[in-house]
Parts: sequence; C-alpha cells; structure tokens
Amino acid sequence: MAANFWASTHYKQLQEQEEVDVVHSPDKERGVTLDEFKLIKMHMATYIWKLAQFVKVRQRVIATAVTYMRRVYARKSMTEYDPRLVAPACLYLASKAEESTVQARLLVFYIKKQYTDEKYRFEIKDILEMEMKILEALDYYLVVYHPYRPLSQLLQDAGMTDVTQLSWGLVNDTYKMDLILIYPPYMIALACIYIASVLKDKDTTAWLEELRVDMNVVKNISMEILEFYDNFRPITDDRINAVLNKLALKPQ
Amino acid sequence: MEKYEKLEKVGEGTYGKVYKAKDKSTGQLVALKKTRLEMDEEGIPPTALREISLLQMLSQTLYIVRLLCVEHTDKNGKPLLYLVFEYLDTDLKKYIDTYRKGANPHPMPPSVIQSFLYQLCKGVAYCHSHSVLHRDLKPQNLLVDKEKGILKIADLGLGRAFTVPLKSYTHEIVTLWYRAPEVLLGSTHYSTGVDMWSVGCIFAEMARRQALFPGDSELQQLLHIFRLLGTPTEEQWPGVSALRDWHEYPHWKPQNLARVVPSLEPEGVDLLSKMLQYAPADRISAKEALDHPYFDSLDKSQF
Repeated sequence: MAANFWASTHYKQLQEQEEVDVVHSPDKERGVTLDEFKLIKMHMATYIWKLAQFVKVRQRVIATAVTYMRRVYARKSMTEYDPRLVAPACLYLASKAEESTVQARLLVFYIKKQYTDEKYRFEIKDILEMEMKILEALDYYLVVYHPYRPLSQLLQDAGMTDVTQLSWGLVNDTYKMDLILIYPPYMIALACIYIASVLKDKDTTAWLEELRVDMNVVKNISMEILEFYDNFRPITDDRINAVLNKLALKPQ
Repeated sequence: MEKYEKLEKVGEGTYGKVYKAKDKSTGQLVALKKTRLEMDEEGIPPTALREISLLQMLSQTLYIVRLLCVEHTDKNGKPLLYLVFEYLDTDLKKYIDTYRKGANPHPMPPSVIQSFLYQLCKGVAYCHSHSVLHRDLKPQNLLVDKEKGILKIADLGLGRAFTVPLKSYTHEIVTLWYRAPEVLLGSTHYSTGVDMWSVGCIFAEMARRQALFPGDSELQQLLHIFRLLGTPTEEQWPGVSALRDWHEYPHWKPQNLARVVPSLEPEGVDLLSKMLQYAPADRISAKEALDHPYFDSLDKSQF
C-alpha cells in the first residue's frame, strides 16, 4: 500500500531503539541476552526469506512478513511465541495481506523440506492458530510501508539508477535489523543510497542537501548498517539452538 | 462477545452477516460484522484481513465508518471474528426510499443532497489519498445518520481486490448500476476514476430518487450508459475500442444530462457531467470535486 506514509498507522507506530531492544521478562528469566534476542530475530528473518523462495512470493511480501515478526517481538516474548512457528505464520499472514496468498499446506510442506528438526515441524492448524495470535499481538495493524518504492523514486531523482541493484540489496539486508520498526522507510532508503554512493565513489552531497532531510538520521542509519556488516559472522545452527533451548527451560 | 447484546440482523455484507448490537457496559450501539472463518482450510479470509487493515488505516476520518475494535471468539471450538463498527441508523438506499415511497413522496432537499455528496467526496478523497480504491460504492454502502445529517462510507472489503466479483458469497448478484464503463468493458488497469463514476451515479440517484443506469446485465448496463451519454468514440476516449470487451455498438447520440436530473441546479449538472466523463483520465477527482462551484453555497466549516 503506497502513498501517504505520514498519515499511516505505520508512522504512528514507529518506536525508539531503546523500546525495541528490550528482552521481555519471560525470556530474560531464561537467561536470554539482548544479543541472543537479536540473533534469533535475524535467523528468523533469514528463515522467512528461505521459505519465501520455495513458495515464490514477491520481495514485498517477505519484507512485510519480517516486519510483522519484528513487531510481534517488540511486544511479546519468544517463550510465549515460539519463533519457529511465528516466522512461517508471519509469512502466511503477510502473503494474505499483500494479496498473494500462499496455501498453509504448501508452507507446511516446505517447512518439512527445510528442516528435519522436529522442533521446526508444525501442522496447518498450528499455523492458523498462530496467525490469530499474531493478529492480536499486532492489534490488527497490517499496513506496512517499505523502503523499496521510495528507493526507486529517489534513485531516479538523483540520476543514480546505476546503483539500483547495490542499494536494493542493502535495503534487503536492513530487514536483518530492526530498522523498519524505528525509522521511516524513506530514511532507510536514503541511508542505503548514501552507502551505495560512498562505495561507488559518487558525490551525492549537493543532491542530499537539496532534499532537506535530517542528515544526522541518515548517517545514524548508515552507521548502523555498516556496523551490522562489520560484526556479522555466520549464524550457525548451534548458536541458534543454544538460545532456543534456553527458551524451553524453566525460568531461573 | 458477552460484552455485546445482539439486537437484530441488519444486513448481509459481502462476506458475512451484520448485526445491530449494544455494548452492555456503555450502552453504545454498534454494528457487529461477523466474518466467516474457515479455520480448517485457510484461516482468516484475505478479504476480511484487507478490510481490517484498510479500516484501521482509514477509520481516522469522519467520512468512513469507524472500526471500533476487533473481537476474536470461539463458537463450538470454531473461531469467529467480529468487526465492531460504530452504528448508524440507516443507509443511503433506505434513506432515498423514504422520499420515493410512502404516503407523501417528495424530492430530497437540495441542501441534503449537496451535503451528502460533499461528505461522500471527502471520504473518497481520503481513500484515494491513501491509494485505496473502494470499487463498490453504492447507496447501500453509504451509512447515514438522519438526525445529524452525516454520511459515511462503509464496506471496504473490496478495497484492494484486483477484480470486482460478480457474485458475493451468498450468490447474490453484485449490482452493476454504479460500475464504471471501463470496468464493464473489461479494462484491467483502472484507477480512482471508477469510484468517481460511482459517485456520479449516486449523485444523480439522490436527485432523481431512482437509479440512473439500472442495468441487469453487463451489456444492458453499458447500453443504459450509452443511450444517455452517447456511444463513446475513440476521440472522446482514446483506446476505448481496444478494451477487451468492446464490440460494435449502435451509435447513440448524447442526450441532455439536465433532462434526467430535472431538479438539479445547473452547477450540479455541471459537476455530474464531470463525474460521468467517459475517459477515466478526464473524470474529475474527488479532491477537485470538493472545490467545484456546486458546493459554493455549502457551509464547509461544519466539515
């Protein structure tokens, strides 16, 4: 859904970084740290992306699904909302909201294909039940804006369509972080263009000045993205399972 | 759902029954719209999801019926979803009928027509500014508060569907009377103009107290339109003859629009003609309509 972001519920729901970076008490009681919380969300974003490749949905559906997942965990604990179920259920819900419905049985089929681990296995009825719980956790706010559309418009405007692929890829990676819960999509798009222009040695200073946006925000977002790349190390199943196993424990 | 006391069934929406009910704790009247949840198959119907998310976004304006909350409940183990809307006592179809039927039929007061049309354009402009098309505007979907003279748009369930279905789930035929010619001719890339055509038909219907184009098949619907407005030409509407369902039609000449809305003042006829332009791009937008001289005599400060 395009157009008026500023009047949207998405805009009104933007949060502060400190609000998003909260490990909910049931998880905390089980010894989950903030880094581990972030790790699980990143892993689940990747999981959603992988499932989406099987069922063939547009990038927009993936982005919406990841946003739903992140919104759920801005409010609910992983103890109560098993990430292994929340991830596919968010993809299921997003596919409906974005008008490209994926059948639940197909999703269940591909989950089994992706993971042999029992703990990832769910039945159709589990997905449907979780869909309902997610809807309530989201308070039925399903409209999400993404940086993709502003990205294309801004690149056109800047006459930099040659960095489309690079900046598009950067935008995809921003979903591995919580940026979409914190910043307007337009600003995220700008940060990605900014990084792309630096990497490709293009001078965008004059163009950015003309836009009259808060460059501090753009730079903050860019820093965060670059930091993410710097700190990135492959997510191993062991690391993930260590956290997920904590969730199954009794509170300490 | 114990919070609400169901009073009576007030209608059938596109995908579920609508009840008038009372919030037991506050006494507030609400409209409960039950959505059919086929949880054993595919969970919540996408139409319901879309309606909810659109309404959450759009119900911030006075001109669209307000979604108060969503209630999730179980009935014999089957999940049910109720949309709880503010309640308005009637709709525009019933409202127009009160002027047409009964012991003393008489025209709707011009000031009411003007005010209702203005509110309708406000609501449509709001939808369009959020890139939402309604696609099924008709008097039954416009709720009216008689006392306060308020009109609000309801039933946004079709808001984002790509094609407008011919039949609803009850197999009740969806009315064609308000459907734009480009939709009838099979255009797949239609835009905000489809809603403005419907607004025009509704405007005329308020002035006439009967439908402007009461067709009962797609072909008949087109012929009704062509007989009044003339068969469209390539000149008037570039690309019309390339539309999927275009055929050779009899060549009717346009009639005088004022004759079918005799009670309407000239400014009103001018606005109507701008809403009923053939070429969708030539049709007046909702936002432009709000500034049309027809509304000059309206006290806009109340809106």
